[in-house]
Amino acid sequence: MASEFELSRNITIGQYVPTGSFIHRLDPRIKLLVFTILVLAIALNTSYVGNALGLLLSIYLFWVSKIPVSYGLSGIKPAIPFIIILAVLQLIFQGNVFSGGTVFFEYGFILITSESIRLVIVSAVRFVEIILLSSVLTLSTSTTELTHAIQSLLSPLKKIKFPVHEISLIITIAIRFVPTFAIEMEKMMKAQASRGADFGSGEWWRIIQRTKDMLPIIIPLFNIALSRAEDLILAMESRCYTPGNERSAYSVYKALVGDYIVLIIGLLLSLLLLFYPFPY
Amino acid sequence: MRGKPIIEIENLFHTYMKGTPMEHVALKGTNMVVNEGECIAIIGHTGSGKSTLIQHFNGLIRPDSGKVIIDGIDLSKKRIDIKALRRNVGLVFQNPEDQIFEKLIGDDISYGPFKLGLPIKEVRERVKWAMNMVGLNFEEMKDRQTFALSGGQKRKVALAGILALKPKILVLDEPTAGLDPKSRNELLDKIKSLNKIENLTVIFVSHNMEEVAYLADRVYVMANGKDVLSGTPIDIFTDKEKLQRYQIGTPETVQALYRLKDLGYNVDTSAFTISEAADEIIKVLTNGEVENHGK
Amino acid sequence: MEPIIALENVSFSYKINETHEVSVLKDVSFSIFPGEYVAIIGHNGSGKSTLSKHLNGLLTPGSGDVWVRGHNTKDASRKLDIRKAVGMVFQHPDNQIVATIVEEDVAFGLENIGVPREEMKQKIDEALEVVKMSEFRKRPPHHLSGGQKQRVAIAGVLAMQPDCIVFDESTSMLDTFGRNEVLQVMRKMNTMGMTIITVTHRMSEAAEADRIIVVEDGKIVMDGKPRDIFKHKEVLMELQLDIPAVSQIAEMVHIQIPNFSKELIQEEELINEIKRVSKARSGEVV
Repeated sequence: MASEFELSRNITIGQYVPTGSFIHRLDPRIKLLVFTILVLAIALNTSYVGNALGLLLSIYLFWVSKIPVSYGLSGIKPAIPFIIILAVLQLIFQGNVFSGGTVFFEYGFILITSESIRLVIVSAVRFVEIILLSSVLTLSTSTTELTHAIQSLLSPLKKIKFPVHEISLIITIAIRFVPTFAIEMEKMMKAQASRGADFGSGEWWRIIQRTKDMLPIIIPLFNIALSRAEDLILAMESRCYTPGNERSAYSVYKALVGDYIVLIIGLLLSLLLLFYPFPY
Repeated sequence: MRGKPIIEIENLFHTYMKGTPMEHVALKGTNMVVNEGECIAIIGHTGSGKSTLIQHFNGLIRPDSGKVIIDGIDLSKKRIDIKALRRNVGLVFQNPEDQIFEKLIGDDISYGPFKLGLPIKEVRERVKWAMNMVGLNFEEMKDRQTFALSGGQKRKVALAGILALKPKILVLDEPTAGLDPKSRNELLDKIKSLNKIENLTVIFVSHNMEEVAYLADRVYVMANGKDVLSGTPIDIFTDKEKLQRYQIGTPETVQALYRLKDLGYNVDTSAFTISEAADEIIKVLTNGEVENHGK
Repeated sequence: MEPIIALENVSFSYKINETHEVSVLKDVSFSIFPGEYVAIIGHNGSGKSTLSKHLNGLLTPGSGDVWVRGHNTKDASRKLDIRKAVGMVFQHPDNQIVATIVEEDVAFGLENIGVPREEMKQKIDEALEVVKMSEFRKRPPHHLSGGQKQRVAIAGVLAMQPDCIVFDESTSMLDTFGRNEVLQVMRKMNTMGMTIITVTHRMSEAAEADRIIVVEDGKIVMDGKPRDIFKHKEVLMELQLDIPAVSQIAEMVHIQIPNFSKELIQEEELINEIKRVSKARSGEVV
């Protein structure tokens, strides 16, 4: 029986699962680049076949990285109500915008066509694909690798005085503290539940009441976050961190032939998704 | 003095993050019986399963398998009165001062009783009683700001917040961690009087062996998700071989007495308190009861 | 000998609002010399934590001066020199780890001061070796125990080869084993020549040091060798500080048996004193 408080269970961001697979060993810069391009290509593809391909690809990538797909899917669970609401809204209101194809149903302003149905299904699948792809990326890449990747991909921006180091450090720390805060929140919910608090039992439309119920968690969490941030700043300052200073790098990455092959395959797949005229 | 069993745990298993790559078995067949009115210490390393175990006591975690009966409520049943359970078992987390969220002390302590739906008069009575129990003056302190308190006082407020639920069983996770000696001793005395005078069943997790020796009637030692040893503090602290096997620390006094015993002095190693230990040494020195000098 | 850190009439107060200030440090002066092992002890709220943050310029005094290796901590241009000279390990193991791999975290400070990559590797190796964490170098830190995390944090500071390391309540979140691990590392680094300053409220930890500075209400009330400090039991009790069990036992035995020394601190000394007195006594009888 899973505990009602096991929050960290459904958080797949910031969790690194070291299985040592091929995907794990890829040069993080190339990995990040390929995944970014793939996600963009999928986001722009509106065909059934294209998205079916994308879904297969994301599941295949899980398989290659030796991480159970079910774990990636658990990251989608919290988003399901959101996906459904979005789909229903799209179905009702978008028919007039994407009005091509056969008309299935028409009543007042509601217009359901084969095109609007396509839109609804494709966007739901697309959402799943994107979550899966970003999960594979973060589950197979340590935060440090990710930062280095972001940093080197952004490094051309240094020329226009963009604070590349700072931004990538902020991203690392943010990602690194996601699981920590999930644990902290879990602990706080349990502590307040032990004092008689109950969460989420009120009717969902009583938003004010439900928000008020969350205050015993939100206020202490906010305090904890602040004091942690303060500690972290002191610790970083003591270790000579000075924003804007030139830093050296301990980890350097060298892309190998295999990495470039992956890059080329990734690019080709993205081009296919973007420009191939899929029949459906 | 000792009543009937109020907590019965048999062959309890618990796995975290089941079905994910982070799966982790925290409890592997734990057994425990706590009788009404007892004061029980649970000791063991970080990661031995102590926190997981105590979270079963008020149903924050439900058993994966095994029997957990708390004050007559069987937790392996699907439908239980979880509110009644949480009312009867007050669980105080580590660093409970983190959970304070109201601006005024009185408001924070009354959160629990209000959630129980008690009339305001009863709430007031309970807050007064709880503050009194932890040594905070009701009239003087109830309208003070919570953020301006010292660490020790904050912890008392948090403890009062649980006591105001009037639990039968009080469970504390490292109640004195991070407190200075004065606040620590005060808090220990309060816990002792809750147990001995108010007759609460007390279960606490601790790393401090002096504290265990001072408070506990019985001790459970946890290792690797199992209860590996249990008995009175004397049983535990005098079993040198097991102490070493499970890497359990001993009170400083006991440690010194063990070394004397090893050197051949006739001392009683179950003397925990400082004055008892001093008496032992005086006895040895005045009677000249030395069986063999040094090694 | 030149001191590493010198405080001269340091006072500091926190502003609560426009009109109110709380005075935390009041005219504090002392010096720390190379190779010392110093414990700064005081109960919570005595000002010891504020004091420790003055030792590497995280805070600068309201009046008076702090000198680190001859640099005034108020001189912002010397900030990096000061922090390179005095490293600091904090209380909460989780809040001082920046990276997600042990060795990357140890590298963080070295990266900040621009150490070339080739030198970094060796420094990280050595630092991890001293704290006995070499086998964990590729692991993510959040799976380590509290004591292990603190040792990683120590390695991160040690790799930068400071002259002095300040431990700001670094053992207070740890269990007995974690604490002993960290204390052992502190002792070891001190014998290797590192200056150690530990800020604590535990007397048993302070007893490990060669010198104890007792802080109360923002002032230094005692400064001396542990043996001399523990002579003033009444004062320590008044300051809400623990006295080591050995010391208390010795005192009690001394009352009954006057030639039993009351000035004992460590277990070893207690055992030896018992041997000595019991030998002397059995000698009397025979």
